[in-house]
Amino acid sequence: MTDKPSDLVQGTLDMLILKTLALEPMHGYGISVRIEQMSKGVFHLNAGSLFVAFQRLQRAGLIKGEWKATDKNRRARYYSLTEQGRKRLESETREWGRQVAAIARILEAS
Amino acid sequence: MSLRRVIASGVRSLFQRKREERELDEELRGFLEMAVGEKMKEGMSRKEAARAVRLERGSVGGAKESVREAGWEHLLETCWQDIRFGARMLRKNPGFTAVVVLTLALGIGANTAVFSVVNGVLLKPLPYRDPGRLLMLWESSLQGGTLGTVAPANFYDWREQSRSFEKMAAIDPYPDFIMNGVSEARRLAGAAVSQDFFSLLGTHMTAGRDFLPEEDRPGSNHVIILSYSTWQSYFGGRSDVVGKRLTLNNDAYTVVGVLPRDFSFVGKASDYHSRNHFDVWTPLALPHPPQAWQRGTHPLCIFAQLKPGVSLQQAQTDLNQVASNLQRLYPADDKERGITAVPLAEHVVADARVALFTLLATVGMVLLIACANIANLMLTRGATRQKEIAVRIALGASRARLARQLLTESVVLAGAGGVLGLAFVYLTVPTLVRHLPSDLPRAAEISVDWRVLLFTCALSMFTGVMFGVVPLHQSRRVSGNDSLKQGGWSVASDHSRLRSGLIVGQVAIALILLTGAGLMAKSLWKLMQVSAGFETEHVLTARLSLPPQYTNDYKFGTGQHRQISLFQRELLERVRQIPGVKSVAFTAYLPLSGTDNSWAFYIEGRPANPPGVYDVADYRPVSADYFETIGIPILRGRAFLPSDTEDNPLVVIINRAMEQIWWKQQDPVGQRVRFGDDDWRTIVGVVGDVHHEGLDVKPEPEMYVPYGQVPNVEARPTIVLRTSIEPESVTSALRQAVSEIDPNVPMDHAETMKEIVYGSVSQSRFRTAMLIIFALLAVFVASVGLYGVLSYSVSERTREFGIRMAIGASRGAILGSVLSKAVRLIVIGICLGLLGALLLTRLIASLLYGISPFDVITLASVSTLLAIVGLVASYMPARRAMRVDPVVALRYE
Repeated sequence: MTDKPSDLVQGTLDMLILKTLALEPMHGYGISVRIEQMSKGVFHLNAGSLFVAFQRLQRAGLIKGEWKATDKNRRARYYSLTEQGRKRLESETREWGRQVAAIARILEAS
Repeated sequence: MSLRRVIASGVRSLFQRKREERELDEELRGFLEMAVGEKMKEGMSRKEAARAVRLERGSVGGAKESVREAGWEHLLETCWQDIRFGARMLRKNPGFTAVVVLTLALGIGANTAVFSVVNGVLLKPLPYRDPGRLLMLWESSLQGGTLGTVAPANFYDWREQSRSFEKMAAIDPYPDFIMNGVSEARRLAGAAVSQDFFSLLGTHMTAGRDFLPEEDRPGSNHVIILSYSTWQSYFGGRSDVVGKRLTLNNDAYTVVGVLPRDFSFVGKASDYHSRNHFDVWTPLALPHPPQAWQRGTHPLCIFAQLKPGVSLQQAQTDLNQVASNLQRLYPADDKERGITAVPLAEHVVADARVALFTLLATVGMVLLIACANIANLMLTRGATRQKEIAVRIALGASRARLARQLLTESVVLAGAGGVLGLAFVYLTVPTLVRHLPSDLPRAAEISVDWRVLLFTCALSMFTGVMFGVVPLHQSRRVSGNDSLKQGGWSVASDHSRLRSGLIVGQVAIALILLTGAGLMAKSLWKLMQVSAGFETEHVLTARLSLPPQYTNDYKFGTGQHRQISLFQRELLERVRQIPGVKSVAFTAYLPLSGTDNSWAFYIEGRPANPPGVYDVADYRPVSADYFETIGIPILRGRAFLPSDTEDNPLVVIINRAMEQIWWKQQDPVGQRVRFGDDDWRTIVGVVGDVHHEGLDVKPEPEMYVPYGQVPNVEARPTIVLRTSIEPESVTSALRQAVSEIDPNVPMDHAETMKEIVYGSVSQSRFRTAMLIIFALLAVFVASVGLYGVLSYSVSERTREFGIRMAIGASRGAILGSVLSKAVRLIVIGICLGLLGALLLTRLIASLLYGISPFDVITLASVSTLLAIVGLVASYMPARRAMRVDPVVALRYE
C-alpha cells in the first residue's frame, strides 16, 4: 500500500456506495467518510466523481435521495438503497468475489 | 437498469433544470462545509481548511460541471446551444444563408418530389391485406418463356390441383356495360371476377356486401359491385343504391355493394386492355365443370394468395407439378404450357423500376453538385472565419467540440433548406402526378406520406454533413498561433486544391447527367422516326360501344348479323357525308390502342403441326376502306371491297411479316387459310406492316378479315376517319351522326392518330424530359460553381496580376493564365465524367431504343456542349483579371 490515496478500480465506486448504504441511509459526506474509513485511507473521493455516481445510481433506480435534517441540525440529502439496489449489491458482491478469486489464482499460479 | 427510467429522468432534469441546479448546489455546499468542519476540528483555521478541502475534494463549480456533463441530456443542451449559435451566425450573413438555403430547398425538394413517385410506385406496400403473399399466375410457353393470360378451364384445374394457395381468384377485364336510362348513353368499364376476388385482396365493401358463392354461377350473376367513383358520379353517393336495379346492356342488374374510396386496382394497364380502372364489377360465373372450349380461349388474369409460410419457390414447384399433369391430360391445348408465379408487386412495377431509379439517381446527382457548390461557398466563408476558430482553440475548445459546432451549423442550414424544400414538394407533387405518363402503374398512390417526410429529413441531414465536412477539414489545419499572427489574407490558397477537386467532380457529374439525357433524347428521336406503318396526319379515331342487340346471339348468316352490318353501313354512309371527311372505316383493334387479339390458323396443303404447337397471327376484322383510310399500303393483290360479305367467297388479307414467315418461297395470294372451325379463306392481298404494340416493338404477323365476314363480332369497334381538314374539327359532327342513328351507342376515346402515336411514347417522353431538365440544371449549377471558384481565385491573385502587368505581362497572357486553369479543370472533369458515363449508362441500356449506351456522337456532343458552357462561365472572371489596373492592385493593402 502506498501512502497516497489510490484511484478506484473502474466501476467499483458504485458498488462501494451501495455497500455503504446497505447499513443505513446516509448523506453524501457521510458516505465518503465511511468509504475512506473502511478502506483505511486507501480511497479518497472527490466531490465530482461522488456526485456523478449518485446521479447515475439514482437514475438507474438503485438508490433514492431525500432531504432531512442532520444530527447537527443542518439540511442534507440522505440516500438509501431501493429494493433493486439491494439486489444489485448482492449480485455485484458475488460477481466481485468470483473475479477476485480468479485473479488471485492467476497471480499466485505464476 | 431500465432505459425508460434513464430517459425519463433525463427529460425531467431538462425541464427542472433550475430546481435541480439549486438542490445540487445546496447539497455540494453542505458536503464541502462538513469536510471543512472536520478539518477545523483537527485545528486548522477556516481559511486553511477551505483551501485543503478544495485541493482534496474539488470545488462546487467543478463538481457541478462533472455532474452536468455526465447525463445524456447534457449533449442535447450543448446541441441546442450550437443550433442557436449557428442560427445567429447565419442571420449575420443573410446573403450567404439565402443562397445556400434556396439551393438546398430546390435540391432537396426535387429529390423529395421524385422520391415521392418512387415511393408511391415502387416502395409502398400494395394497398391490400398481406401484400407480400399476393401473386399473379400466368400461362407460360415452355420454349419462349413468354407469359400469357389464362384459359378458364386451366384456372379451375390450377385452383383444384395446387396445394400452396389460400385462395386463387380470376379477373376477366373485358366486359363493358352500356348504362341505359341516363341522359346520354354511357359506357362503363367492367370487370368480371370470381367470387373470392375481393376477399383475396382483403377488401371490404363500404356499403352492401361482396359477391356470394351462388352468384358466381351462370344465370344468377346479374349482380354488380360499383366502384366508389361510379357510386359518387352516377348515384350521388346515396346509401339506398344497394338493392337498386339498373339496366345495363338492356339487362336488369342488382347493385349488391360499393367498393371503398381507397380501393385501387393495382395492375399493369397492358394486361387489362389499357385500363387501370374499372367502374363496375360482376361475377365471372364460369360454367362448372369447365367445357372443352374453355381450354382454347385465354382471357383471364389470375391472382393467388400464398398460404402462410409457403415460399414462392415452393409454390412454383407445386405449380410445375400441376402443369405437368395438365400437359399429360390435355396435350392438344397444354402440351407446351407451363405455369409461372410472379409476386403481384413485382409484376406490376417491374417495367417502371429502371426508369424511376434512373430519375432518382439523376436528381440525387444534381443535389451532389449543389452540395459541392455550397461546400465551396463554405470554404470561402471559412477563410474569413479562421480567426474565430483560432481564438476558440486558443481559449481551450477541443477540436471535437469545434467540429460538432461547425457540423451543427451546416445541419441547421440543411434543415432550413429541407423545410423550404418540403413546401416546394407540396406545391409540385400534384402537378408532377398530373404529368406522369398515363400508363405508369400505381400513380394514384403517390402522395407525401411519412416515408417521404423521413426521406426529406434523412436527406437534409445527409446534405448538411456532406457540405459540412469540407469546412471541418479546413478547421483541422488551423493551429491557434498561425492564424492569429497572420494578416488575414492569402490563408485560403492552400484550399485551392480542394476547390479545384470539387469543381472537377461537379463537371464530371454534370457530364454523366448530360450523357444520360443525350442518350434518352436521341433514342426518343429515333423512336419518333420509326414509321408506324400507317399515316398519322389527318386521321381521327373514336371508339364505339355497341349494345348487345348488335352482338348477342350472333350466328353466322342470321338476321342479327345483318342488323349490325346495317348499323355500320348506315353510319359509314352518314359520316362520309360530313364535310372534310375523305374516307371512313371500322376496325376492331386499332394500332397502338392497347387492344389486340390473335388466332391460331392452318394453311391449306401444309403438314399438320405436332400437338400443342400452333401457327398464330394477330387477327384484325376491318371494314372495306380501312387500308385506304388509315394509310396502310397494299403491296400485292387487292384491298377489301364492299362486296366481301358472307354471300360471297370468304377472303383474308395478310401483312408482310406474315408473308415472310410462312410464304418465303411462294406468292401467298390465292392460297387458303382457316382459323378455328371457320371455313377456308382465300388470301387476296398482302399489306404493309404496322407497329401495333408500340413503336419500339417489331411488327407481328397479322391477318385482316372483312367486317362483312367476321366469325365473331367485336362489340367495341373503332371508327377511323381520313379528313382533308383538321381531324379534331369533325369530332362533334361524328358524335352527332352516331347518336342520330342510335342514341344508345356511346362514343369515347375520340383522338387523332397523331395523339395516339404521341401517347404511345409517353413514358419515354416523360423520362427524357425529366432527364433533360435535371441535366441542364446540373450544368447550370456546375457552371455557377466554376464561375464562383475562378472569381475567387482572380480576386485572390489581384496583387499577383498587378505585379505581373507592372513588369510587362500582356493582358492576353493574364487572360490565358486564368483560362488555362479553367480549361485544365474542365478537361479533367470531362475525362472523369466520360469514364463515369461509360460505367453508368450501361444501366439504362434497357430504356434506350436504337442506340448503344456508348454512342460516340452523343458522348462527343455533350462533352463539347459542357466544354463550351464551362468556358463561357470562366471567361467572365478571366476578363476581370485582364482588366486589373496594376496601380490600383499594388496600392491595395
